[in-house]
Amino acid sequence: MADSSTLSARFPVKRPFGPLGRASIAAKLALGYGLLGTFSIVAVSAVFYTGTIGVLDDNLDGKIVMQSDRLIEHARFPGHGALVEEVRRQLADGVDSDREIFQLITGNGVPAAGNLDAVPAGAQPAPPPRAMMVTTVVKRDGHERPARLYLRPMADGGLLIVGRDLSEQHAVREVIWRALLAGAGVSLLLTVGGALLFRRGIEGRLGEIRRTAAQIEAGNLSHRIPVSGGDEFALLNRDINRMLDRIELLMEGIRHVSNAIAHDLRTPLSRIRGRLDDALRHEMTVPRLSGAAHDAIDDIDDLIRLFERLLQIAEAESGMRARLFERLDLGRVVADIGEMYEAIAEDGGIALTVDAPASLYVDGDRNLLASAVASLLDNAIKYAGPGAAIRVRAGLHHGQASIAIHDNGPGIPEAERDKVTQRFYRLDKSRHLPGNGLGLSIVSATATSHGGSLTLEDGAPGLVARILLPLASG
Amino acid sequence: MMENRVRCLVIEDEVETSNYICKGLREAGYLVTACATGPDGLDYATGEQWDLIILDRMLPGRIDGLSIVDKLRALGKQTPVIIVSALTTIDARVTGLRGGADDYLSKPFAFSELLARVEALLRRSAPGADSTQLQVADLTLDLRTMRVTRGPKVITLQPREYRLLEYLMRNENQVVTRTMLLESVWDYHFDPQTNVIDVQISRLRAKVDKDFPVMLIHTLRGVGYRMGAGASDETGQGLG
Repeated sequence: MADSSTLSARFPVKRPFGPLGRASIAAKLALGYGLLGTFSIVAVSAVFYTGTIGVLDDNLDGKIVMQSDRLIEHARFPGHGALVEEVRRQLADGVDSDREIFQLITGNGVPAAGNLDAVPAGAQPAPPPRAMMVTTVVKRDGHERPARLYLRPMADGGLLIVGRDLSEQHAVREVIWRALLAGAGVSLLLTVGGALLFRRGIEGRLGEIRRTAAQIEAGNLSHRIPVSGGDEFALLNRDINRMLDRIELLMEGIRHVSNAIAHDLRTPLSRIRGRLDDALRHEMTVPRLSGAAHDAIDDIDDLIRLFERLLQIAEAESGMRARLFERLDLGRVVADIGEMYEAIAEDGGIALTVDAPASLYVDGDRNLLASAVASLLDNAIKYAGPGAAIRVRAGLHHGQASIAIHDNGPGIPEAERDKVTQRFYRLDKSRHLPGNGLGLSIVSATATSHGGSLTLEDGAPGLVARILLPLASG
Repeated sequence: MMENRVRCLVIEDEVETSNYICKGLREAGYLVTACATGPDGLDYATGEQWDLIILDRMLPGRIDGLSIVDKLRALGKQTPVIIVSALTTIDARVTGLRGGADDYLSKPFAFSELLARVEALLRRSAPGADSTQLQVADLTLDLRTMRVTRGPKVITLQPREYRLLEYLMRNENQVVTRTMLLESVWDYHFDPQTNVIDVQISRLRAKVDKDFPVMLIHTLRGVGYRMGAGASDETGQGLG
């Protein structure tokens, strides 16, 4: 275990994203959603605003023009008597009269009738050449008020002003604006707050992963990411944990292999060295030297064989052979290998029965599978001992092709069954029996590379070693 | 015999291995030419007539062993080729054999294994008499009736024993190794951890040689077997 201060120095997990925003996905997301939120609020407000105030404005202009048209009818009679009368009537009718504005100005600039205190800015010093709509400030009842006015010059040089006091409308507009601003502010705050919460959540989850990665890098391979809930992070964490399990297993395997190599390779090497040294130091007769050379070659051949087996495992485990697979009859292979071992079993006082019907088709490498079967038979003969009975059966087992080798020997204790497929693992701790502890790992690797598996079961008595392979499709 | 010596080309870049192979082949009576690079190898292999080519798979000079075999076969030359290679995976072996090589031997190897394979290849490529009967000393194997007799005695064999004996007799006086037997008689290529082949041979020997004054199946320690009436100084030493 590395000490934790150097660990946190190299992996500043507490503040994993540095200053706010710098390259942090969470911060970018928060910022992005904040902007998006603001933009949508602006869009909604714009639509709402034009849909209310805009409509009011349009209607207002229409009404004013209509009223002006109606009034001008009275100007057809000579003099302004009828028009003045009508303006007065309109002002006194009590309908909307606090908002309505009427003003009639005669040709010489004298106000004839109306409710304005002064001639508005647009009509001074002379009336406009043609009718026009203006928004301006008028003086009415002693107050300055915003107003919308329709200025209509008349044939005799007079001017008819019809309009509306806008104070109320302005007040409404202000209320709407304020409401929109308040809404925008609140939703912006909510968006930013939510984004910050989201960012904190993500940082928390990522922090777990980063802390675990730091632990792993520091050599603590057994550390795992805590998995909670069923969200995307939980799924990711579960996947990473599974990957870590596999890596830990492989690392353990490598450590184990290194230890075993240290033992299994050093022993024969020191034996070879000792023999050659011995042959050179004593009387160097030809038979003696040639004997030593022969022995050395035998030992070296064993070592080469060991290396080849290690390579074979590596090759099978790398899983790159499938393209060389061919359709083959597993029953035939088992029968061949069974026949090959009949003599040796008989010599060892072992009753070997082989039950391998033909036409059990799988896709695979014939030589590798033959080697696997031979390896299992070797083991059974070696461990079951003289007088034992071994049954080899090829057939179907739960929809898969199966090769089962059942001996009635001592079997393998349950606790050891998982370990015996590890490289260099030997039940015979003293390593007296011949072998290198690679047999079952090769069989296991071969089965795995064929998409199958090697299982060791209690034979009651003895052991059942079973290779399961997927049947050839079609 | 001397005028008709086997011409053998060795293409191998590693000097010591090359010397080891050449020396052994010369001792066996072959005319040996050696070269060390891919381009040289290609020139030699395609430019002259050879009885046998032994080549390394990985060679310096951008032309590897497999492409030499490729060119050779493209030119229609059926010269027997043995690849020796440190690439020992079954994958490498299969691509080597599919690429047109006749045999594939992984490094490191025993020279006896190489020589046995060389001889087997040369015999295979030599036009042999298509006989219906094999004969070694007083042992006779009739290929049509599958009847085996030694002197007056009829020998009953299991089918596999019959094929084993047939292979040994076809390679009379030649060394055959265990791997060669496994490949030719059983048609498998793997390395059995136990002496299955030895046990099969001793069974066969019990039927063929027992009770006869002259041993025909000889064990060569650390190498393999040889069938023949000639005495072998190593007979009896091995596992038989």
